Amino acid sequence: MTLLRCIGSMLLLIYWFDGTAATAQTDSTAVADSLFSLQLERSLQPEPSSIQQQSAPRSFLSVNPDISAIGDFRSAYTSIGTRPIDMYLNELEIQIASVVDPYARAEFIVSFGRDPESRELGIELEVATLTSLSLPYQLQLTLGKFKPVIGKVNVLHPHYFSFVDFPKVINNYFESEGMFMEGASASWLLPNPYDFYQELTVEVGRAGSEPNAAVAPGEDGQLLYVGHLKNFLDLGPNSTLEFGLSGVHGPNRFGSSTLLAGVDLTFKWKPLRHNVYRSFSWQSEVLYANMRLSDAEVIRTYGGFSFIEYQLERRWFVGARYDYSGFPDDPARKEQAASLLLRFQPTEFQILALQYQYSKRNYDRNMSQVVLRVIFGIGSHAAHQY
Amino acid sequence: MDRRRMTMSGTRIRFVVGFGLALAFLTVSTGYGQLKVVTTLPDLESIAKFIGGEQVDVYSIATGFQNPHFVDPKPSYILRLARADVFVTVGLDLEIGWVPSLLNSARNAKIQKGGEGYVDASLGVPLLQIPTSASRAQGDIHVYGNPHYWLNPLNGKVIARNILDAFVRTDPDHRSIYESNLKEFNETLDARMKLWAASMLPYKGRKIIAYHNEWPYFEQCFGLQIVDFLEPKPGIPPTPSQLLKIINTMKRDRIKIIVISPYFTTESADLVARSVGGKVITLATSVGANEKIKTYFELFDHNVSQLEEAFR
Repeated sequence: MTLLRCIGSMLLLIYWFDGTAATAQTDSTAVADSLFSLQLERSLQPEPSSIQQQSAPRSFLSVNPDISAIGDFRSAYTSIGTRPIDMYLNELEIQIASVVDPYARAEFIVSFGRDPESRELGIELEVATLTSLSLPYQLQLTLGKFKPVIGKVNVLHPHYFSFVDFPKVINNYFESEGMFMEGASASWLLPNPYDFYQELTVEVGRAGSEPNAAVAPGEDGQLLYVGHLKNFLDLGPNSTLEFGLSGVHGPNRFGSSTLLAGVDLTFKWKPLRHNVYRSFSWQSEVLYANMRLSDAEVIRTYGGFSFIEYQLERRWFVGARYDYSGFPDDPARKEQAASLLLRFQPTEFQILALQYQYSKRNYDRNMSQVVLRVIFGIGSHAAHQY
Repeated sequence: MDRRRMTMSGTRIRFVVGFGLALAFLTVSTGYGQLKVVTTLPDLESIAKFIGGEQVDVYSIATGFQNPHFVDPKPSYILRLARADVFVTVGLDLEIGWVPSLLNSARNAKIQKGGEGYVDASLGVPLLQIPTSASRAQGDIHVYGNPHYWLNPLNGKVIARNILDAFVRTDPDHRSIYESNLKEFNETLDARMKLWAASMLPYKGRKIIAYHNEWPYFEQCFGLQIVDFLEPKPGIPPTPSQLLKIINTMKRDRIKIIVISPYFTTESADLVARSVGGKVITLATSVGANEKIKTYFELFDHNVSQLEEAFR
């Protein structure tokens, strides 16, 4: 039987190598091994009538959601304060996400975060969202608790941000990890006949459970409104430019309201051919606040930051950031900071970052800080954001 | 007075009609008639163009000289996906770092997993290197099997069939055209396969070294033997100890060829090649890896000729 198969395969090869080209190669076809012959045989077999007949399972038969855990460990030296040297687990985040049905997907993020005051780990539900997948007219609706689209950095969770800490303006105007809100978010891809990406996002709800410096959950009937217009351009195959406008209006903890306006600008460069070895990004944001304390009293302040990051090698990155920030409820206080970053990323699932920061404040002593952060993740592979 | 009211009313009607027409233009101005197809890789684009012919407008997100594992999910791709009728992906988690976030933002039910326009091109492909255990201690492994299956030209037929099925589902009126194109594609592939096989037969069983584990399908098809990789584990850059091990292996087994892809830097490979008197050849992993490779067939024309020249 084997002999017959062998002869069959050889005949098949001889049949294949017909014509002039085949004549020159007749000798070599005779030495073809059975594996090679079987492959050629397979190529000559009739096409299957449909993919269903050919299909084999390509995923585990499970409806379990994607689950991942991300740890954030830190070791820090601070030039002032009661604990100049500290080592601690800053946060553990559990992410669970899955498609709910053909119409929506859901995501939950639970954080075991370190309380800066008590230094104990507390639990907080940071994200719980239901996001539509198939609304008409290129609309997308998200319901639940999420990070509103105010600029580029606020929507990030800390481990996705290159630097060890969020910019001062985010800290001083919202919370240390930015603003969270509960409500609804609708985004629309503005139609245009060109390859020009414009996305308008409108969000309505209440600020997260903790009062932020600029806005607060507010009384019943007082809602937080957020709007963002994102404009994205491909400058060429290797570089992109993004320009965004943000607006926020909501209640503040003085029983009145705050109006915020922001601008963000991001330039990215990454050569397509060696896209894992080199990249550069420059990102800047400015936020202006108009905080009403009473009918007669209004405080106007602003803050912003600008940073660059350059990829030296496949796993090495360096960065620098400048921060300037006022405080939305105190026009007298101001803060500036300069940061230098060295980041080593052995794989996509582990990041080591060393950051030096010098802060100059007009309300306290100046401060130097060195932080080593180790991010480590297990579980499903998270998709990258741009 | 009445006349003025009428004039205002007419202006208002003209404004509303004009605004409506402008909006309608904006929403439908993305073209009509052709199927809009988006593929992740240019190899899928090339096959889709062959099967779809004049009936399709195909766009590939990745280029042929780009590492397909690490493509940035730029928002401009979301626009393409939002308008697409068909989306073709390699699957097997090759694009897991960038396709899910694009699809989640595409707002297009047709091309979501399970939608009529979603094509997992790997369906029906006999897979290689399916791991028996899944642990990231093994590096960047793919739990469903090695995803570089399009590098066996025989798998091109399966990919083409998967794409045809999606075209027929979304555009049944042109079924006969698509089927005729598929027949022509398969015949062309068969004819070229004869030439490629004839060229490679003298070198069957030859041992080579590769930078990354992306050639098992090519290796199987053309009877080569890849004995080791410069990467100690998939996705982990070459280490000095791994390079030393490779040098010893190449000297012991008299291996002279190191195969690398266009998107990896060649320093490590050059160092090893210099140490053993061997050579580094850059093979194309995708259509468009260089300007001469414009179709799926030319991908193998290039790779076969490169190897032939190196082995000679």
